[in-house]
Amino acid sequence: MIQRYRASAGIMLTPAVTLIGIFILLPMLLTVWLSFQDWSTQTPFASASFIGLDNFREIFGPTSVGRDFKGALVNTAIYTALSVILILPLSVAFGLMVYQDDVAGGTALRTVLFSTYMVPMIAVALVWSKLYSPSEGPFNQMLGLVGIGPQPWLSSPRSALISIVVLNVWQQVGYFTVLAIAGLTQIPGSLYEAARLDGANRFEQFRFITLPLMRRTLLFSAVIAIINAVQVFEPVALITQGGPVGSTNVLTYHIRRVGIERAQGGLGSAMAVMLMLSLIVVVCALFALANRKDQE
Amino acid sequence: MSFAWTSKLALAAGLAILPASGWAQSVNISYLTHWSPETVSLLEAAAKDYAKTNPDVSVTVRAVPFGDLLTTLRSQGGGADGPTIGGIYDLWLPELARDKLVAPAPNAVADEVKGGWPAGVVSAASVGGKLYGIPNEIDVYALNYNKALFREAGIAAPPKTWDEFRDAAKKLTNKEAGQQGFGMINSWAAGVVHPFASLLVSNGGELVKDGKPALDSKQAGEAFQLYEDLIKSGASVPAMATADANTTGPFLDNFVSGKTGMIIMANWWESALKTGMGDKFADIATAPIPVGPSGDKPHSISYSWMTVVNANAGEAEQKAAWDFLAWLNNPKSGKNGASAMSDILMSMGILPSRSSDIEAHKDKLGSEFLSGYVSVLADAKPFPVVLGGQEFSESLQQTLEALQYGQVSAKDARATAQADAASILERAAK
Repeated sequence: MIQRYRASAGIMLTPAVTLIGIFILLPMLLTVWLSFQDWSTQTPFASASFIGLDNFREIFGPTSVGRDFKGALVNTAIYTALSVILILPLSVAFGLMVYQDDVAGGTALRTVLFSTYMVPMIAVALVWSKLYSPSEGPFNQMLGLVGIGPQPWLSSPRSALISIVVLNVWQQVGYFTVLAIAGLTQIPGSLYEAARLDGANRFEQFRFITLPLMRRTLLFSAVIAIINAVQVFEPVALITQGGPVGSTNVLTYHIRRVGIERAQGGLGSAMAVMLMLSLIVVVCALFALANRKDQE
Repeated sequence: MSFAWTSKLALAAGLAILPASGWAQSVNISYLTHWSPETVSLLEAAAKDYAKTNPDVSVTVRAVPFGDLLTTLRSQGGGADGPTIGGIYDLWLPELARDKLVAPAPNAVADEVKGGWPAGVVSAASVGGKLYGIPNEIDVYALNYNKALFREAGIAAPPKTWDEFRDAAKKLTNKEAGQQGFGMINSWAAGVVHPFASLLVSNGGELVKDGKPALDSKQAGEAFQLYEDLIKSGASVPAMATADANTTGPFLDNFVSGKTGMIIMANWWESALKTGMGDKFADIATAPIPVGPSGDKPHSISYSWMTVVNANAGEAEQKAAWDFLAWLNNPKSGKNGASAMSDILMSMGILPSRSSDIEAHKDKLGSEFLSGYVSVLADAKPFPVVLGGQEFSESLQQTLEALQYGQVSAKDARATAQADAASILERAAK
């Protein structure tokens, strides 16, 4: 009986496992294998030659290859951290705002917030590159009205990455607000009622009921926000091309430049493996932290 | 034979011929470029003219931003369905030829090119003595300056030496008005490296000498120092120098709006200046690159573009592509003895490289703006076309941008640029 059950489970799982194997696991394994090879992306895999850890030594070395990779890794980490730090609290704040029964126009606000997520990135890039324009950009004109001088935005290595983060937050916050609202709907109203009877004020209700019970939603939001942020590509490719001085050169854009434009497939694969490992470590750490909190 | 039998035979013969004639009708070739929509329209019109005498070939034109051109060629050129023809920058050719993405030109085309173009341009379109592309445009750098701003600053003539250049840049700078004396460019490799390289060769230096980088030379040190001086004095403002993926952006906006007194740029941006400035374009003049303390006379950098054919395209497509390109670049396809390609290039202010085209467009090339470029062409040095050239160019871009933003000193920039270039060229040559 158990054998028949196992056989039937195996048959039913085969299509899904095969598809995952072909389209997910195989490319990942191929990337790992290529990271140990000297290989040009314009040549067949058969032309790859094994070079051990040379690609990894190169990308962490002192030459321009290493400097550019490490710079891109740091830029990606800063971009991801800032994006998550800004998106999560904002999404909870907006979620609370539009979820309140006594807020007029909550549905309209929810629609407006989510609409930014539906705008194609090419349109966002076109509009925001003009908004940030140092000479005739509306942002600088508005700052001028309150007596603040023009800011360089995308033209300075100090502010270019932050400017791209702001664009990302603007576009993504609506989506995460919807996730936050979904989390809020899962909290029973009776808990708030009991808290109010016990004399808890709004802040205490938020601190001791809303936040703990939204932990799972926030964990999911954080993981998705990290994955989205690490994969940032379009705003960099469309607006800054990684500049100035490589300040917006994020890993996905850099891997494209190395692996495709320069056809250095081995080096590009080593960079992709490092990106994948970093992502795995961060997401696992996040889950471990959440599990520890649950156990407490 | 009865009528019925005759009809059946005719029908059978017709059906037998149908696939062949249908095949002959269906040679579709595609042309990948980074040109603007207006210029793409001109190319499409030329393709229509070609179709009048070659109804069996259809040419479709596809444009991508300059920043995506090489990536598109590399990612799609590996297959038969990729673009049949691509417009490429000569710096990319050695690696595209090494990776067998571009096909060598047939003998007839190669002979035509060798006889019709200057030897230097033919050499830039060849690898290992084999011609891979039909050259079309040649670009050269010169000093562009705003005559109205020069008048306001009391400067009578464009600077001829670096001392005069520093002095003019200082006089043209007006911080309160948001005006800079000399405009640098950043966030675009060629836009950063070519003006610097023009100043370097005008100071008697070179980027690459005998296949080895020469950025540790005294001349290069002086060029790095000039950049540092211009930035430190405030005569050049890096925040006004940004370029976008379409090689436009604040650096262009600042020049067309009269916020930049001088800039070193190539002839091809004439159409962008005309569009941005309207009647004020008359204020813009061209002069040779100022000569540095170690230089003998003005020099600048030149580079060329060419059209290549996808080596992985089908035989019929490759044949049709070379035939179309030979027609497009032939003196009979355009007006008054010019090629259709040169007519398209001249619409953008780009210098054609075919000798007969230069002759045919003599009048327009004599305009105030373009004549300045034509005059420096003879002493221009080609940008080094070497394996790893694009990576070398991007690496030097990073160093120069770091210098522009004050992240490194001129001395450190020189040392870093030389070390990076040596490592890149050595690796690429393996």
